[in-house]
Amino acid sequence: MTRGAAGAAVLVLVLVPPLLTSNPFLLHLAITVLLWTLLGAAWNLLGGFAGQVSFGHSTFFGVGAYTTMILYLKGGLAPWYGMALGGIVAVLVSLPIGLICFRLRGPYFSLSTLAVAEIVRLVALNWEGLTNGPVGLLITTLPRVAWGGRILDWESKVPFYYMIATFALASMLATYRLSRARLGAYLLAIREDEDAAESVGIDTVRAKVLTLALSAFFTGLGGGFYGLYFRYVDPDAVFPIALSVEMVFIAVVGGLATVIGPVIGAVFLTTIGEMFRERFLVGHLIFYGLFMMLVIRYLPEGIWGGARRAWAKRP
Amino acid sequence: MALRAQPGPVETFVQSVVSGVLTGSLYAMIGVGLTVVFGVMRIINLAHGELVMLGMYGAFWAHALWKLDPFLSIALWVPLMFLGGMFVYRFLLRPIIPGGELNTLLYTAGLSLLIANLALFAWTGDYRTIKLPYAITPLRPFGIAVPIPLAIAFALAIVITAALYLFLSRTDPGRAIRATSQNPEAAALMGIDVERISMLTFGLGSALAGAAGVLLAPSLYLYPTVGEILIAKCFVIVVLGGLGSVSGAIAGGVLLGLVESLGAVYVSVAYKDTIGFIMFLLVLLFRPSRLFGVGKS
Amino acid sequence: MMRRLLALALVFGILLVGAAAPATAQDTLKIGAPQPMTGPDAPFGDKFKKAYGMAVEEINAKGGVNGKKIEVIIDDHQAKNAMAATVAEKLITQGKVLVLTGGRASGQAVEIASVAQRLKTPYVVDHPSADIITAKGFEWVFRNNPTGSIYPQAFNKFISEVPGAMPKSAAVVYDNSVFGKTISNSAMTFLKSKNVPIVNDEAYPVNSLDFKPVMTKVKSNNPDYLLMVAVATTDAILLTKHAKEIGVAPRAFVGFGGGFGVEDFAKELGPQSQNVFSSAAWSGNPNDPTVKEFYKKFHDKYGIWPKEHEVEGYAIVFVIADAMRRAQLTGNVDADREAIRQALLKTDMTTVFGKLKFGNWAGPLGDPYTNQNIYSPDHSVLAQWLDGKLQNVWPKSNAEASYVFPDNTVKR
Repeated sequence: MTRGAAGAAVLVLVLVPPLLTSNPFLLHLAITVLLWTLLGAAWNLLGGFAGQVSFGHSTFFGVGAYTTMILYLKGGLAPWYGMALGGIVAVLVSLPIGLICFRLRGPYFSLSTLAVAEIVRLVALNWEGLTNGPVGLLITTLPRVAWGGRILDWESKVPFYYMIATFALASMLATYRLSRARLGAYLLAIREDEDAAESVGIDTVRAKVLTLALSAFFTGLGGGFYGLYFRYVDPDAVFPIALSVEMVFIAVVGGLATVIGPVIGAVFLTTIGEMFRERFLVGHLIFYGLFMMLVIRYLPEGIWGGARRAWAKRP
Repeated sequence: MALRAQPGPVETFVQSVVSGVLTGSLYAMIGVGLTVVFGVMRIINLAHGELVMLGMYGAFWAHALWKLDPFLSIALWVPLMFLGGMFVYRFLLRPIIPGGELNTLLYTAGLSLLIANLALFAWTGDYRTIKLPYAITPLRPFGIAVPIPLAIAFALAIVITAALYLFLSRTDPGRAIRATSQNPEAAALMGIDVERISMLTFGLGSALAGAAGVLLAPSLYLYPTVGEILIAKCFVIVVLGGLGSVSGAIAGGVLLGLVESLGAVYVSVAYKDTIGFIMFLLVLLFRPSRLFGVGKS
Repeated sequence: MMRRLLALALVFGILLVGAAAPATAQDTLKIGAPQPMTGPDAPFGDKFKKAYGMAVEEINAKGGVNGKKIEVIIDDHQAKNAMAATVAEKLITQGKVLVLTGGRASGQAVEIASVAQRLKTPYVVDHPSADIITAKGFEWVFRNNPTGSIYPQAFNKFISEVPGAMPKSAAVVYDNSVFGKTISNSAMTFLKSKNVPIVNDEAYPVNSLDFKPVMTKVKSNNPDYLLMVAVATTDAILLTKHAKEIGVAPRAFVGFGGGFGVEDFAKELGPQSQNVFSSAAWSGNPNDPTVKEFYKKFHDKYGIWPKEHEVEGYAIVFVIADAMRRAQLTGNVDADREAIRQALLKTDMTTVFGKLKFGNWAGPLGDPYTNQNIYSPDHSVLAQWLDGKLQNVWPKSNAEASYVFPDNTVKR
């Protein structure tokens, strides 16, 4: 099967669901899955390809979310522009963060990103003039807008679905292009051995900074979408450590440094979470944790990685 | 001793320092277990907070069911957690390690979810404290408040740390641990069974976590997910001191306790955690000797 | 490759549908309640579960609502906003509940209110206190309990009416949450209007491990009153403990927040809880026989004495049942939800929690409330921990014991 056909298949699979079902909860779940796909894919660029394990991506998510909300609620700027700006502001924020954190390697890098994320969260919590502090920002009405000649119905899930599907697909496309480009090769070299990569003349700083910027952009975009779709943003919703960790889970459980991995990770983690919560009101996280452990134990390359390996072994 | 109505600036300062050092010593105890494990196995054990939580619950149940004072029941829980830790390593962690550091890290994250929620299921989420009759009135040397359980915990923490130090420097297994921590390949060449040492170290780290939990329990409160908060502090301490360095973790813990205490009193309570994290970042950036002291990761 | 992709797609599809399988249809009137059943807030979720359970049993034993049984469906939102939205959507769309309640924490409640408003389902708030929930003009959202800015009113009355009680200075320590900020803001606004100097204004992060530094700072200012706000029980306990250990010696320790009013507070603190005031959200007049009966019933069934959360959960089921009874329910979910909403607008009843009528009025800090219980200001009562029991002490009409003031457990 050619890459083009595979790409078309993915496109179709992603765009079809709203046509198949009008059940708003299923669409809500699908939107959630796509949002996590976007976030997982964004993290994957830096963590999977470049091997820089960040535990602070919630910084970019929250920055994107707050930018969108503040610009809309206080400045009247329509949220779609706000989302794009959210992504851009996240990129700008990523530059000093990269400057500070890329000086460090391995676990020190990871922990420094965690520290930055916590600092940003605490600032958002306390800087009430800008963020409204813990009270948060709430959208009650979205602007009337037409697309393709029809007024968009914000009560329906469909416009949101296509929005997030576009973003998720964009991130997957970016991942694909990156993996085929020279930058992708540089990143893998950096992941294997950064010093060796330096010694053969790769500008590792530039590579890492570029990748972080791209990663931050998509994460910020996701944050902006979160604000738009969930309508409410407070510091604990968009800056928690748990969010950063979840992004890592998705990329790893799905399959690091792959294009399809984040989708798979997002689907599995969301559905497993829903299924267990349905069955066990209090104990569901026990099974979630167990599932995580089992996947890592028996599919160390992630679900997609394991699937590919099994496929390759066929007689 | 009667209290003066309004404490002067000196008394306030001394109180801040004393509180900071006492709290910091407990932070340090939590951090020591994590750093020892990292030093030998390059694993950041995200379930470490849950191990501390188990120690806390151990102390609680021993007190609730058998009226055993926590500072006595520590003698029961430390060996149990040592064995438990070795078991966890041998059967749960060892098969994962070949998958890489990130996988191991996430595996411990899954483990942490598992343990915390099993505890929730078994013991409910109700908040519990250990009420010790001698804990109500603090000591007041020179008008400085020193809570008794905290003082005892501090003293025991010193004893445990001294014992740990002796173990690491004077005994064969201890020296083997340090050797493996510095250079696993060389240690293997010297005939050290790295696998066995890893198992021992994880047991040791768990035992230290349990001890920290028991010492902490009378001064704090218990609930199944308390590990989340503890581990966040833990990271800061362990990195401050240098991953893998026991003395570093101790210094880091006490330093963090002091910085938080002084920061809260003299700068801002709302931002006191931020101060800790900023200090953390500054140390990371400007103390390269600490960073490379334990080898590349 | 094509087969692989197709197989994968099939698996995803099944999983997705499996995850969203609708609840088995039963002929009951369903009420949805997102609650935290895991995580640090889990004990509260459990309290509401018990409270709802008892109310449902009682109502169904008496024939239900117009012959139909009612049912409360609880789902775990894990104290996360996005999860609260997911759970609310699931209850509304899959569970086909007629009404929502619960939420527990304000952040999640705001999200639930937003979903309820958009999906046109009544959300009858039982406990979350953020003013914003009923101050955004959401016509589908109703609230029985007082808002955060109303919580301090009983305390305000106390210091204004008891001779010599007006603070000469006050230290205010509160958590960084919506709850903490709203209440402290409201309390401080009132104090400032009476020219009381605020000598400490300290916001702390929720779930702090150590309040000794904060209390050291407070002690150095020797405040006349110490006001503590805590949304988390753990913080409430530690705040008081460390305040007393460090030796802060005000004429009164005043707590605002659920944590100061739960049984755990005295159970865990023992003698250190003595004389601590709690400016709480419940006016349950203990001299009222209905309240006494409720206390006893709850304790007999569950072995614990109910407080604010249990009362709110129990009462809200009756409020909802009352509206359901008056609405003409046809079995068409959308029409029924609107009918219940109309019925709620006309609600005029008394529950164990107190009198209830939903109305639009302005709160103490000027928030424009819609569908907020107009009797809320009467539902703030000042209680005090005396010998391990929380007793209402102000206003006198609601009092079950005399207040102890100034505090005699610390040396001044």
